[in-house]
Amino acid sequence: MPKRPKAAPEKIAPPGKVGAFLLGMRAALTSVQGMVLFASYVGYGGLCASIGFPFGAAVFSTVLVLALPSQLLLITGFVAGNAMLGIALAVFLSAARLLPSVVTLLPYLRARFWVQILAAHFVAVSIWVESRRFLPPMPAPERVPFYFGLALTFNIASVFATWLGFVLAGNLPQAFAIGLGFLTPMSFIIALVRNARDLVDYLSLVFGLVLAPVFVWLNAPVDLLWVGLFGGGAAWLIQRQRKARAA
Amino acid sequence: MSELMHSGLAPYLLIIFAGFLPTDFWRWTAVIAGRKLEEDSELMTFIRGVANAMVAGVIMRLIIFPSGELLAVPLFLRAGCVVVAFAAYFLCRRSMLAGVIAGEAVLIAGAYYLLH
Repeated sequence: MPKRPKAAPEKIAPPGKVGAFLLGMRAALTSVQGMVLFASYVGYGGLCASIGFPFGAAVFSTVLVLALPSQLLLITGFVAGNAMLGIALAVFLSAARLLPSVVTLLPYLRARFWVQILAAHFVAVSIWVESRRFLPPMPAPERVPFYFGLALTFNIASVFATWLGFVLAGNLPQAFAIGLGFLTPMSFIIALVRNARDLVDYLSLVFGLVLAPVFVWLNAPVDLLWVGLFGGGAAWLIQRQRKARAA
Repeated sequence: MSELMHSGLAPYLLIIFAGFLPTDFWRWTAVIAGRKLEEDSELMTFIRGVANAMVAGVIMRLIIFPSGELLAVPLFLRAGCVVVAFAAYFLCRRSMLAGVIAGEAVLIAGAYYLLH
């Protein structure tokens, strides 16, 4: 049997904008980070089902928000009957960590202002990790279409995963539905420990765990907001004092 | 407005006004403000602390005061599975997958035993 000629290396011709977009989609579909994201949103869908957040709204929240911590605060605040303004404030504070993520990606996403605004809308942890990996070595004109291919695929997959998780939770035996509902909280709390770098990260985690029941027992309106401000604030102050003493 | 909040539209309005806008505020501000903010500035460190504490708080609240289906399993199981998850995470050289699988196994097995 004659040997087949070797396939031409892909990089001979530049892929062009459409090609780069498709490469972005392919990168998303084969990404480990993408699989973790998919599993997290299956868990999110399951959690929505198990705490009684409506199906359409669960899917809609993934279409529009694309940030699991924001969505977690949103749905738990809703079922706890918190006021909208309070939930908005809690989400607002938790989403602030997206700002530096967007800022560090912008040098690789040079485009018109409104294109950048649209690109920024998709930034969350997974997309940030994958963009930092793929974008820097690419030729500049291909980065933006590649990014949108990646981001849109992640977004559509997350929406599908939310739908799937919700439907699964309703059809699985109860024990498994409960397990599915707890998947996201469990992986989140481990991820907090894994991603912790400084004292402030560890302290805020511990303070958050300890203060949460205290503020619920105090029956504070929007308890989580206070947990964040007091717990995070104390953690930050302690780290600052430590640094000041060390200096 | 309060009538709207009690209709079926309430969760959708909540998603737009309390989820989408407060989240995208930061994404858009980043584009507008550009590189003026440093990741390790005091302000960003404070924000990181607040965000961490709130996420930890949400999870603690789900464990202690859950709603819906999660109420079907007792507190010791909801808390126990997280403790097991952490133990497995550290025992398996900080493997997140091991932690999640161990925690889920305990939760599902426990729920199955208690509910069937």
